[in-house]
Parts: sequence; C-alpha cells; structure tokens
Amino acid sequence: MTHSLRRTSLLALLVLGGAGAQTYSGPKVQLTFLHGFTGADRPVMERLIAQFNSAHPNIQVRAQAQPWGTTWQQLPSLVASGRAPDVVVINEDQITQFIARGAVSPLTDAELKAAAINKARFYGPLFKTADYEGKSYGVPISSVAYVMFYNKDLMNKMGITKVPTTRAEFLKAAQQCTADKSGKKAGQAGFDKANLDTWGVSLYNNWVGSRMAYAAILQNGGSLVDKNLNANFNTPQAVEAVQFLVDLVQKHGVARPNSTEEAELAAFSQGKVCFFPSGQWYTDRFEQQKMNFGVAFVPRVGSQKDAAWGGSSHLTLPKQRAGYDANKRRAALEFINWMTLPAQNLTWTEAGSLPTMPAVASNPKFAGRPIAGIFPKLGSIYATSGFPWSGQVLGPFDNAWANAYSGKQSVKAALDAGVSESNKQIQQARKSFQ
Amino acid sequence: MSLSLPRENVPPRRRRGGESSGLVPYLYLLPFALLFFVFVVYPVGYGFYVSMHRWDLLAETRPFVGLEYYRNLFDFSTPQAQFFWNSMRNTAFFTIVSVPLLVATALGLALLLYRPIFGRAFFRAVFFLPGVLTVSVMGILWRWMFDNQIGLVNAVRTDIFHLQPLPFLSTEGLAWIPIIVGTLWWTIGFNMTLYLAALGNISQSLYEAAEIDGATAWPKFRFITWPLLGPVTLFVFVTTVLASFQLFGQTLVITAGGPNRTTQSAIQYITEEAFTNNQFSSASAMAFMFGLVMLIFTFLQFRIMARDAREGS
Repeated sequence: MTHSLRRTSLLALLVLGGAGAQTYSGPKVQLTFLHGFTGADRPVMERLIAQFNSAHPNIQVRAQAQPWGTTWQQLPSLVASGRAPDVVVINEDQITQFIARGAVSPLTDAELKAAAINKARFYGPLFKTADYEGKSYGVPISSVAYVMFYNKDLMNKMGITKVPTTRAEFLKAAQQCTADKSGKKAGQAGFDKANLDTWGVSLYNNWVGSRMAYAAILQNGGSLVDKNLNANFNTPQAVEAVQFLVDLVQKHGVARPNSTEEAELAAFSQGKVCFFPSGQWYTDRFEQQKMNFGVAFVPRVGSQKDAAWGGSSHLTLPKQRAGYDANKRRAALEFINWMTLPAQNLTWTEAGSLPTMPAVASNPKFAGRPIAGIFPKLGSIYATSGFPWSGQVLGPFDNAWANAYSGKQSVKAALDAGVSESNKQIQQARKSFQ
Repeated sequence: MSLSLPRENVPPRRRRGGESSGLVPYLYLLPFALLFFVFVVYPVGYGFYVSMHRWDLLAETRPFVGLEYYRNLFDFSTPQAQFFWNSMRNTAFFTIVSVPLLVATALGLALLLYRPIFGRAFFRAVFFLPGVLTVSVMGILWRWMFDNQIGLVNAVRTDIFHLQPLPFLSTEGLAWIPIIVGTLWWTIGFNMTLYLAALGNISQSLYEAAEIDGATAWPKFRFITWPLLGPVTLFVFVTTVLASFQLFGQTLVITAGGPNRTTQSAIQYITEEAFTNNQFSSASAMAFMFGLVMLIFTFLQFRIMARDAREGS
C-alpha cells in the first residue's frame, strides 16, 4: 500500500468507523465462526478477524473456512446434535430453507438494538434477503450483483454515445451495434441475422444467462413466487418481459441464438458485442485485459422499476441447544455488528464484494473505478430468496429460460411448463416443512 | 476357464490337533467385517429407513410414510417419476453407446502399441495420461472444444469446411457427442493398459507355431489373441459397464444435464433431488430403485458369464 493510499484508508476508517463503540462487556468468551470464503477472499477475512480479536480482549473468534457446499451438508447435523458453531455465514440461495427448517435462530429487534446493528444502514432489499415471515435472521456481510458490461470502443465505432437505460434506448443501441458479415445493419433490408459480425447484447443459456430474464420480470413488476410462495413466473408481466428478451434474438437479430456464457464472454473480450450482462465478478478479468469497458446497472427493459439479481452472504446465529451461554450470543452479536460496520465493509470490498451499504458506496476509494457505475442503484438489487424451496423454483426457471431463448418452446409455453413443474415440486417440499 | 478347482488343491477337511477351533477364522474376518458393517450394511439400512420416512435432520417429527416415495417413482404425474426414469434412460443410452466404443478402441490401441513401433512408450503415455485428470478439468476441456461458437470443433467446421457451426451443447441429441468423445479420451488409457498387460502374457511360441503353419495376421488374431484375451475382455467389459452406469461428473460439467435434462444421468438426478431440492427420503428411494435395477442387470450379466465360462471350458 502506498503512503497516500494508507492515509486515505485511515481517513476512511475515521469517517466510517464512528459507530463502532463496543457493547459487550461480559466475561471472556470464545466463539467459533464457520464461513465459506476460501478463495482470494480468505486472507482478507482472516485479517479482519485478527483485527477484531485484538480490539476485543474479552471475545476471541476462532474461524474455520470450508467450501460452501460442505457447510450446507453439515449444518443440519451440527445443529441437530447441538454442536453448531456460534456464527455461520449462509448465502442467499440457502438461507431461507435453513430458516424454514429451524437451523437458524431469529435476531430480535431488542437484540439488534442492544448490539447497535441498525438495519437502516444497509441496502433495504439486501438486508431483507435474510428475512422470513416478518423476522430477521441474518446480517449481510458480502454482496455480488448482475450488471451490464459495455465495450466503449465498439460503442464509439458504432456511434453510440450514451449507455442505454430504458427499453427503447437499449433496443436502439443494440440495433446500432449489430452488423452482419456483409456489413448490413440490423433492421436494414437484406440483413442476415444468422451471420453476425458484431451484435448488440449477449444472451446465453445457463443459470447466469437466466438472471437477465429474472431482472426483466422484476422490472415489469413480476416475481418468481406469489404471496403463498408458489411459483409464479408465468404471469402476463413475466411473459411480456421474457418475450422482449427472446425478441432480441428472434425478431430483431441483435443477440445470438443458442449461445453459451463462455462464447459470449469471449466475444465481449474480443470486441464483437457491445453489451454483456453478467455477474460483477468479471470486472477484475476485464481490468486485467486492459479492456476499454464500463459497468452499468441492467437497463430498465420492464415498465415498473429498476431491478437486477444479486447474491449475498449473511452472518447468522445457528440454533443452539438449551442452556447455551447467553454471553456467547451477546458476544456473537457484537462480532456481527463489528464485521458489518462501514469500515470493515470497505476493507471487505477488496475481496471483490460490492458495498453492502450506501455509506461505503460513497467512499472516494471507488471514484473512477468502473464498478462505481452501478453504485447509485445498489438499492435495487434483489436476491432470489424468501422462499425455502429455491432449488425447486430456480431449476425449472433456468430451464424455462433456456427453452424460450433457444426457441424450443414459445415464451408462454416454456414459462407455463416451468411453473407447473416447480409447483409440483413445491407441493412435495411443503410436506417436509410441516 | 474352469470354475471347479482341481481336486488335489482342496485342503483336508480336518486337521490334527485342537488349534483349529471355530473362532480363529472369524477373528481374521473381523476387521473387514467391522468395516463392512460400519460403511456398507449400516448406511444401506439407514438409507432404507430414510426412504420410508419423511426425513429431515432438523425436523421435530419424521413421520413414517411407508412406500410413498417408491410409489411416486411409478406415478407419472410426479416430476420424480418423469425425471428419474428419464435419467435412467439417459444412463442406459450412454452405457449402450459408450461401452462397445471403450472396449473396442482400447483393444485396437493396445494391439497397435504392443508392436515394437517407434515411440511406443511415448504413445502409451499419451493415451494413458488423460486418465490422471480430474473430471472437472476433463469436462471443462471438452465443453470448450465443443462450444457452440468458440469451440475448436466448430472453428474447424466453419473455417476449414465452410459449414455452419453446430450448437452441440444446447441441442438435444448432439449434446451426447462431447460427453461420449470426452469419456472415451479420458478413460481409454486404463482399459488399454489392461489389454497391453494381457497381450504380454500370451506366449510368443503360439504365434511362432502358427507362423510355421503359415498363418497370417488375421487368423493369428482370430484364433490366438482374441480367445486368450477372453478373461481380460470380460473384466474390461464388466468394469466399464459399471463405470458407465455411474456416469455423473462428465454430464454435470459438460452440459449440466441439459438441454432439457436430455443428458442428465441417474446419479446426477438423485444428487439434485437430495441436495438441491432437500428431498432426502425421495432421493434415498431413487437410490434403492437404481440399486435394484443394477442388481437385476448384474444378475443377468453373471448368468451369461457363467454360461460362457461353462461353454468355454
């Protein structure tokens, strides 16, 4: 770290860290902490824990990092046998089922208040990801999001001066970007959409590709599940939203049919496509390639609101056996609060996470970084969470998107089939939660 | 091959002295029996218990539901029945197509590389080495090779043969090609090595005698090599069939079971039901059904083997 950077960080700590007064004053306790940050994010997490331990002589946190999947398999037996760790990190796609199965204990308002955890400091939809039936079960520590990368050089070449934010702008820009191998533009007579040289937008067939459909459905006021948590992604709003995306391929010829994430990623890197919607985690890769690119929030192709998919990790307190030391729970809440304070969240963004709260997003550290382009709309990021049967909903949804996008089924038929399959699975899953 | 042991090798029924009390052999068996009970009998029994209850580790009650989850597998209005039998069909299709390829190609390669050609050791290594890769590395490699747009296969099609690119990974039917070709490339070395070892055990004097009688290459293969490779062919065939039934990683990494579950294998679907849908009882019932089908299959295979062995002796 250079000298000036260190000074900036110190300043940031002073500005952001004001709310970090210690609240736990009980006897010395030791906490076990289980998390899945096993990659490049592990050293950052370990640094934060060491920092916490040295600042809190009466709380010692012993962390264990292991792959997420291992935790999902082990947590039920750890809880059932009364040997659960004191604090566990759970991701957005798993958390509701663990809540519904009773593996995680609710954080009461009184507890949150006593530990100085203020919900309002986080982005609203992000904090609510770990809510279920009106109660809170976790505090967000890490966040990723679906964004739209754009290639500035190709846009310049095609005469596009503004990053599109509405459906009309988006379609127009995509058409401007699209040319077939003989040089004809999308919409011109004789345009051959089967032989594209450059094209407007990347669509593709895996679960990451289907997150574009998820964004469009939310933007149209739709959702994946209804208020009874049954699958509901075939409403008229949903069909309209997905139809617009499929039309980009079939009607307008500005996206390639039957493509894969790898193919579109390569095409974007090679300057063949203007807009590449995908996870924000590709930012590093494009920076290392020294691409001339930008990151924008997913344009509003729906009519109701801004929305994009996001993933997140939450600090939770598993259910413990009777007679669990109340001091440990208070100390664990202290740890959760400290870990999710703005100063720590700013450090955590080094690991590739997005800010979990506005106070961090406005930090000067991000000025000029491509990813800062989406910060004004971080509050419009929605996880696929809130229903305990995420597998039963997301699997059929991803499959429905693949079928609609490839043209194997009409949009309506694909979404109807997906909802029907999903609801049969949910019906069976419900029996497990009785 | 004869199944009965020569008479003189049979140990005497009773020994002199009292040391052969009934206990000693069981003591020798004990360590294995313990492992067998802890890691096979108990889990299988527990799995069966799980499949008969609506089971969740965290649930307060785990009601007995009897055969409900087995019945689901025969009620085609449930996704379980549709997807389970679909995945069984896919697995059977993979086995039927890939096993003859895996056996015949391995034999062909072994015959080529048994001869003293230049660079023999190098080529043996070339065919054996892919087998040391993990399934994820192998899967990603073949997914890239067959990618709809950027894959090498499609690059060759478009740039050299001026054909339209084929969307291998997202077209029903075509998606099997990368899986089968990839599996062939990945596992062929093991079978080839078995065949090479077996070829080394065939006495050269048999070929010399045949040559004196004026035999050419084909009769030598037909009447000496092939029959003497019989036991190893049987072994290769049986192990390859069992390995093919356990298809999992290749389809998971290359196509994720898609498009439309047309390449989803049985084990992949059972895993999905257990760990994505959290339906452990249902997944256990499927595992038992899968086991039952395998058992019937293995029984038939042994019947055929035993007949062949009798005829061969």
